[in-house]
Amino acid sequence: MASSRDPSGGRRAWAAQTGGLTYGGAHPFGPETVHRWQLENGLTVLTLLDPSAPIASYHTWYKVGSRHEKPGKTGLAHLFEHLMFNETESLRAGTFDRKLEENGAESNAATWVDWTYYYESLPADRVKLAVKLEAERMARLVLREPQVASEKEVVANERRYRVDDDIEGAANELLYKAAFVTHPYGWPTIGWMEDIQGFTPEDCVAFYRTYYAPNNATVVVSGDLRERDLLVSIRDAYASIPAQSIPPEDIVPEPAQLDTRDLVVRKPTVTEKLLLAFKGPALGDADHATMTVLSEVLFGGRASRLYRALVVERELATDVRGWVSTFRDPGLFECVGTAREAHTTQALQAVMDEAFAVVRAEVVGEDELVRAKARLELGALQQLETIPGKAEQIGFYETVLGDPAHAFRRVESFRRVSTGDLRRVARRYLTEGGRTIVRVVPEGAPTAEAAQ
Amino acid sequence: MSVARARVQPPPLRFELEGGALALFEPANSVPLVSIVVSLRSGSAVEPADKAGLARLAVRMLRRGCQGMTSEQIDFRIDALGAEMAVDTSPSTVAIHAQVIARNVDAFVDLLALMLATPTFPHQELERLKRETVAEIVESRDNDRSVAQKALQRTLFEGHPYGRNAGGTTEGVEAIGGDDVQAFYRRFVVQGNAVIGIAGDVTVERAPELARRIALALPRGERTLDTVPEPTSRPGRHLLLADKPERTQTQILVATLGTSAHDEDHVPLAVANAVFGGTFTSRLMREVRSKRGWSYGASARTLVDRRRQAWVMWTFPAAEDAAPCMKLTLDLMEAWVNDGVTAREVAFIARYLVRSHAFDVDTAAKRLHQALDVELLGLPEDYYTAWIDHVRAVTAKSASEAVRTRIHPENMLAVVVGTAAQVLDPLRGAIANLADASVVPFDVE
Repeated sequence: MASSRDPSGGRRAWAAQTGGLTYGGAHPFGPETVHRWQLENGLTVLTLLDPSAPIASYHTWYKVGSRHEKPGKTGLAHLFEHLMFNETESLRAGTFDRKLEENGAESNAATWVDWTYYYESLPADRVKLAVKLEAERMARLVLREPQVASEKEVVANERRYRVDDDIEGAANELLYKAAFVTHPYGWPTIGWMEDIQGFTPEDCVAFYRTYYAPNNATVVVSGDLRERDLLVSIRDAYASIPAQSIPPEDIVPEPAQLDTRDLVVRKPTVTEKLLLAFKGPALGDADHATMTVLSEVLFGGRASRLYRALVVERELATDVRGWVSTFRDPGLFECVGTAREAHTTQALQAVMDEAFAVVRAEVVGEDELVRAKARLELGALQQLETIPGKAEQIGFYETVLGDPAHAFRRVESFRRVSTGDLRRVARRYLTEGGRTIVRVVPEGAPTAEAAQ
Repeated sequence: MSVARARVQPPPLRFELEGGALALFEPANSVPLVSIVVSLRSGSAVEPADKAGLARLAVRMLRRGCQGMTSEQIDFRIDALGAEMAVDTSPSTVAIHAQVIARNVDAFVDLLALMLATPTFPHQELERLKRETVAEIVESRDNDRSVAQKALQRTLFEGHPYGRNAGGTTEGVEAIGGDDVQAFYRRFVVQGNAVIGIAGDVTVERAPELARRIALALPRGERTLDTVPEPTSRPGRHLLLADKPERTQTQILVATLGTSAHDEDHVPLAVANAVFGGTFTSRLMREVRSKRGWSYGASARTLVDRRRQAWVMWTFPAAEDAAPCMKLTLDLMEAWVNDGVTAREVAFIARYLVRSHAFDVDTAAKRLHQALDVELLGLPEDYYTAWIDHVRAVTAKSASEAVRTRIHPENMLAVVVGTAAQVLDPLRGAIANLADASVVPFDVE
């Protein structure tokens, strides 16, 4: 029986007795607790007991994303994510998904700039199937030409869907390409089409051997768990997978942007779109929460300053939104507006610039600050509504910041933000000299110069 | 087959309220949030045919002004309470969906009740909302999937209320006047027509009182009976191409009339459909994506409403693969109808459907929405609660017969969004026995 003063609940002693596992401590996670464990090969395991539904969610987060690619090989992390659902040494192609479906599981994966993750959500009594399958594909994936060729076609079609035939996807890709000239955040995670089509099985094998290793991954399991039983299964399934030497990152930091980059792209649409981006803070920067609150004051919801100005009062736009990228390295503060027919990006930009000038010069009202914080708290709680949602939040913040409970620390950070803080970050980040603008204009529309 | 440790989930608590309103409550305290749904038993199907968008517009107007508060003040108050509110419209129902941080639920219910009881419908706000709605409709044309879905709905159900776009059309919205909005409010936004749902971090003692405050805020009025007729199928095979320039890809929807929840073979058809296109390893996904890489996704769905709804198959191949992909999916569809499904396939998919049921009911909000569906769409009372038993009872024979009875490949509609110059002729060649092919601009409503 554990002492009531032992936050590990007897886990430390149990791990020492069991062998092959080290207990790494407890992380308060709101009213619940995340427990940290490590295997001898470096695999980190985080557990959260939540008996609110008879399910479990098993997430495997790898510290590899498109930032680890090279020019000419963009999109490899994402293509590889697709290939992870194929053949392994003991499972024929298609068997992986069939086994999961047969056991009632939901599974999927995602790749972005800093990470790749895979999840299986299953009835709680089936969670060991996820342990077995994830350990299998971490170590024994088979990569052959037919699967690679077919999956390249699938990814090419995904790119057509998300980027080539999607106006906003295409404009967003252009925005990041223009904003980042040295940092890998400048290329799209899905990859350039010619790179996707050029990959070989050898590229995929090299990528797998480099990054898919226990010491480059975190397993997060949340739900109605028999924790000790589960941990023994994890140890037994993964213990034989050797750690790898993960190469140090070779990233050149993005130099300060001193110029304004202003691009026009023509698309088959009747409405103009404005994407305007300032360089923003990294997720781990103390300014990130403050900039997020400022974004909410300006763009969050119908009562925000720019929604009211552009959509409600002047009726120049259909919609506006702002987002501070949640990346490990400094990203962008994206400001997006969709113009109504016959209105221009220049008109939208003039109103946005006016709003930016005001928040640089004056403090926002206390009531606006309260409104923004309430919306952000609501959003944070919504992400923790489900058992898979909790695992995702834990895995994301552990992988990017090394802090599995950061979702709660972030809400505390929002609460501490003052009106003076907002003006300070506005002056620091909303600088007119160094920003990137992409204007989507209808095909056949006169150029700005011709219109003048 | 078993669901070990599965918990028997009691149905949501029901409260009959004054004036004929019904309230449903599903408690959960795993996160301090409360979901509130105010739904009406009438949707876009009751709109006048020339005023498409009225139901949605009328309910959206409730937050555009009420006694003592302007639209701006209401918006600000919703946000400051840590709440959000949206309107969702379908042929059979229009609903306000809200969520609020639990500590503010009382203040939010006060605000909601004020909006429901004392809307002022300011003329200026109505005109502003109409312009906003028209701009949203125009903007939605940038999304090819949305263009395809709207074209499918209006063509498959042409002349039937299900053929109306619940989001409205530019012409329909522009024709709506203040009198129309107030008439809709007086007739449909009334106690007898309301089903109120609450889910989340509220005690069982407080929930009825919150629901009662919302119900009492509504004007008195009777439940509206649904007089929508059964839709009928158009004979023959038809192709509608929504022509959009510079498409590298196509959006392909193939549809027939599908099933009613009251059909005896409804669940067998749902099981057979899951075999055909309901999972990642389904026939469609395997043939279209896994073997050929032609489309990122490939799926088939049976939609459910008060009357028979559509069965729809969806793929989105590159323009050069559109015709072979169309031919392949039609061949698969015909093989599915003619040859049925195997016992092995049914056993596999039943295991999936039974075991994955845990994810249909893992949150209070999901359980509430199931109960709301039963009420609002008139589904059989045990539609969700006996789902597992009904799935287990399906055999290969009953599933195959259901497909043969309900799905008619000879009477189907194919809707494609793509660039006509590139894909029209190949698509014509890919559809055997095509009765007609028509091309419309992508912005046709």
